Amino acid sequence: MGSRQIIEKSLSMLKSLPRISLSNIRDNPGSRKNYKRGRGQHGGDKHGAGNKGSGQRQNYMRLGYETGNNPFYLRVPQEQYYRGHHHRRQYPPLSLNALQAMVDTDRLDVTKPIDIASIIKSGLYTIHPDQKHYGIQLTDEGADRFAAKLNIEVQWATEPVIAAIERNGGTITTAYYDPHSLFLLKNPKKFFETGQAIPRRMIPPPDVIEYYSKPENRGYLADPEIISQERLKLAQKYGYQLPNLESDPDYNMLCERKDPRQIFYGLEPGWVINLKDECILKLKDEDLLRFYAS
Amino acid sequence: MYIMASMLTNAFKRLQISTISQIRAVSSNTAPSNDSLVITRKDWKFPPTYTKPREVWIENIDTIEEKKIGLFELHPLVYANMPRIDIIHQNVTWQKKYRWVSWAHTKTRAEVRGGGRKPWPQKGLGRARHGSIRSPLWRGGGIAHGPRSGKTHFFMLPFHLRIYGLTSTLSSKLAQDDLHIVQNLELPTEEPEYLNELIERRNWGPSVLIVDDTDYAPRNITAAIDAIQHVNIMPVYGLNVYSMLKHDTLVLTVAAAEKIEERILYHLHSDTKQQQAKFKLDQV
Repeated sequence: MGSRQIIEKSLSMLKSLPRISLSNIRDNPGSRKNYKRGRGQHGGDKHGAGNKGSGQRQNYMRLGYETGNNPFYLRVPQEQYYRGHHHRRQYPPLSLNALQAMVDTDRLDVTKPIDIASIIKSGLYTIHPDQKHYGIQLTDEGADRFAAKLNIEVQWATEPVIAAIERNGGTITTAYYDPHSLFLLKNPKKFFETGQAIPRRMIPPPDVIEYYSKPENRGYLADPEIISQERLKLAQKYGYQLPNLESDPDYNMLCERKDPRQIFYGLEPGWVINLKDECILKLKDEDLLRFYAS
Repeated sequence: MYIMASMLTNAFKRLQISTISQIRAVSSNTAPSNDSLVITRKDWKFPPTYTKPREVWIENIDTIEEKKIGLFELHPLVYANMPRIDIIHQNVTWQKKYRWVSWAHTKTRAEVRGGGRKPWPQKGLGRARHGSIRSPLWRGGGIAHGPRSGKTHFFMLPFHLRIYGLTSTLSSKLAQDDLHIVQNLELPTEEPEYLNELIERRNWGPSVLIVDDTDYAPRNITAAIDAIQHVNIMPVYGLNVYSMLKHDTLVLTVAAAEKIEERILYHLHSDTKQQQAKFKLDQV
């Protein structure tokens, strides 16, 4: 809203001007256009639409129509590379550059584990689970400059991204969330206000179970022992010294993981969050405990 | 041409002089009378980065004579922001329009009584052809493209334009010495004459808007205000650009000034997608 000198100058000008009131304010000149069809010398005659034909009557033919010929766009046989693309799972990208910017501008708290809820809360990234968005794809743009140490959970990551995170002493997990869980993570307050119990997270569909079980992808269903071996392997492949996780002061934070059935950090499935009384109602019933157990 | 230029430079010189006096935030000719001035330095959640806070006097209203009770700091992002007249104007137009339902109404040729019969044969009379005596061409006929009642003019001004409307108006009020801060709203009497005299003596202009942070006020001031048409009182949640402009002077209690500051600073520094989403248009 203007530079400092201009603000000071405007305020001092106002001091010597009449009092601003309802009768002496106006919008910027030219901010509103009056759409009128002029007559006579004020743009009359054909009103800029030309003489006769579809131009004047504005009944244009549809795009690509060749007045009865087999149109060009239908003459060539189609190869439907993208057939059914709207049924596929989408993972909207988030670059390491953007992630670094969030950390630098204090939009993310790196002293706590980061998941999709905290990234959406930053206001710089959003997903639409109803449009087949299944979470964050962390891309390697800015991998060389990435310098934050964090424990992050994303839905899709490639090898260079995993290397960039682990080079800085951080940890990364790839985890699957079903659309319903993503709705809860996108706007937790809206869900808590409904007063329903937190549901279980669903297991991934068959075609991605393999991805999330692989230790190379740091999948949440993979064996942690093999993941630590893979971390070392990746460090050797990319040629960096792997920081020792066990001697890290933030070891507990860096190793915190959600249960495969858990949606929110610190909250278990089956619990009810009461925002009005600011309390959590936990499960006691044996049957329910058995149902929500992972 | 030369004369014009010299006039302009003179005008600018005069402006520069008034800049210096601007630094004293809210003016008053009377010097502080008592020794026990309360000077408040504030710890803001979002401290001003480039501009200094504006200092204003805290006044009293329990005597007609003005007494300075203390000094008070106002955040420049709220009370000394760019006074955008166009944004103020947009706010005023929005406030007039969003609750305006136009009941102007005219009848079309179908709604005017009669006119079902062809007035005379198409051919053979040497007269112009007509199919109905209620056609828009006829006297007493229907109106083509006339106003139809129940037309709403509702629209929502974008959230940040509403915020900047408030800061622009508050800033221009402060810059023009039309904003005063008072300690509380306790009056010694409920006579309207007392309030009238106080306003006149302090040169507060005939119309005054008083804003407090609560929606209940002491008995004396409400009784006095009830009797005077052009002095009004309002809680902070009712503060708006139109009312501030409608009244010559704005009087805030200390609590109200702080509350306004807190709310506006909160919105200026937070993610406002939620507030904007509700009235966002799908098309274009």
